[in-house]
Amino acid sequence: MDPLSPGLPPGFRDLAFQEAARRRALDGKLAVIFDTHGYGEVLPSGIEFLDVYTRGNQVISERAFKFLDREDRLLALRADFTPAVARMVATRLGGAQEALRIWYSGNVFRRVKPRNGGYAECWQVGAELVAESSVEHDCEVLTIALECLSALGMGTAGVHINHAGVFRGILNALELPEDARAQLKSEIDHKDARALANHLEELGVPAAIGEQVHVLARSIGGPEVLREAASVLKDSESQSAIAHLQRVANGLAGLSERVTFDLTEIDELEYYTGIMFTLFSPDRRSPLGMGGRYDALLRTFGSDRPAVGFTLFMDSLMEGQ
Amino acid sequence: MRTALLIGLPKGRLFQGAIDLLSRAGIVTDGGQGSRKLTFSDAEGRHEFVALKPADIPIYVESGAVDAGVVGSDILREQDYDVYEPLDLRIGLCRLVLAAPDGADLREREHLRIATKYPRTATRFFAARNRHTHIVRLEGSVEIAPLLGLADAIVDLVETGRTLRENGLRVVEDVAPISAKLIVNRTAMKTRNSAIRSLITRLDAVVYANS
Repeated sequence: MDPLSPGLPPGFRDLAFQEAARRRALDGKLAVIFDTHGYGEVLPSGIEFLDVYTRGNQVISERAFKFLDREDRLLALRADFTPAVARMVATRLGGAQEALRIWYSGNVFRRVKPRNGGYAECWQVGAELVAESSVEHDCEVLTIALECLSALGMGTAGVHINHAGVFRGILNALELPEDARAQLKSEIDHKDARALANHLEELGVPAAIGEQVHVLARSIGGPEVLREAASVLKDSESQSAIAHLQRVANGLAGLSERVTFDLTEIDELEYYTGIMFTLFSPDRRSPLGMGGRYDALLRTFGSDRPAVGFTLFMDSLMEGQ
Repeated sequence: MRTALLIGLPKGRLFQGAIDLLSRAGIVTDGGQGSRKLTFSDAEGRHEFVALKPADIPIYVESGAVDAGVVGSDILREQDYDVYEPLDLRIGLCRLVLAAPDGADLREREHLRIATKYPRTATRFFAARNRHTHIVRLEGSVEIAPLLGLADAIVDLVETGRTLRENGLRVVEDVAPISAKLIVNRTAMKTRNSAIRSLITRLDAVVYANS
């Protein structure tokens, strides 16, 4: 680098004065909400063993900034909060069996593709509820996520809710070899209905299951899409996922204008174990946050406790404000 | 929030085919008369179009700068883009092929040098065949590279095969069939679902009218 023009590596930026003040103000608003709901703040270490980011079907380790310590162990800069918090809960707070309500605010660091002008350092605020798996706990976290968006001036932003079991039930019932399963997941993700139908036919999948996939592909809307899905889905895993979402719909009845049920997405990485959701605003070009239930993640750190949580992408929220 | 759906169309090889499709679907109503401008819109103001360099379209769509776009699968497969690909438009049909000078036997070459505009696609193709190659990335006129001794063979698009023949090359193997796809931004698919679904349905009806 030219010594006369010291600058930042690509993907990074500084915040000065008003920008920093704005961040502090938004952080303060969210702190009040979490405090009201009985969530305590944590700040996990900024550096972890890389291993923290490779457990439980995560892919984030590919994008982590990695380096070695003095004993040549692989370390990573914090690339995601959820696994760092999971590691912290399992190793420091694991003895407690009562519900743990946790929130955090800080930066994550990810190696971004040089194109697109993306940021390598992103501010995230989020919460985790480590307690038994229940509809009430799912609804608590969803309600707080929407409350946070309202407090940030995004009262029209809503949540698209899905359940990992919907497609997983269908895929498991098909008993496909691993590569065919992976290809099918990728096609479901692409949303090409024709390519998917052709491929299902090639695989010799019964027409009734093809019809289920076809119905899910357009299942985006109010609670009525759950009723339609319930009428066509046959395997027990998919059915119980839909039944769970119907209970979530009841639990969030007061927020129904901001809730969309969206069964079109597939949890391609098989990371989530229950609900999964994304927060959107009609006037933002990227999601405002996401979350879900990942009951298996803490187990990979040796603490078999279920958890549900969400993360707000604060840079998307602040963009254009 | 913009009211019209903004759609990126690729300048060049695919442009007229895309305009024809949109016209037949009743989405472009002036036969593309307005298309000489940088951006143009349909009569009802429900769709706006912008002509972009084909290779840039996935980035515009991925970032949400435009809501949807038309792009060749050759470009789409070359990098991993985080977009939806809901419809194969069946235009711009051609093949991506491995081609070599007439009479050359690639099996005998120890260190195969391949000239291409598609380095990642070519690398994947040879890796799947357990063949180690050296990729020479070029911007265009790839077919000239073997003649000048830059490469032993090329991976490039073929429509009629005339360009290959004129340069003394023949097809060794197909790499992939190519056609244009409709791609959609992941957030637009959610926040503008009914408009996007209507676009997909109308195009689907025209593209697959006879099947």
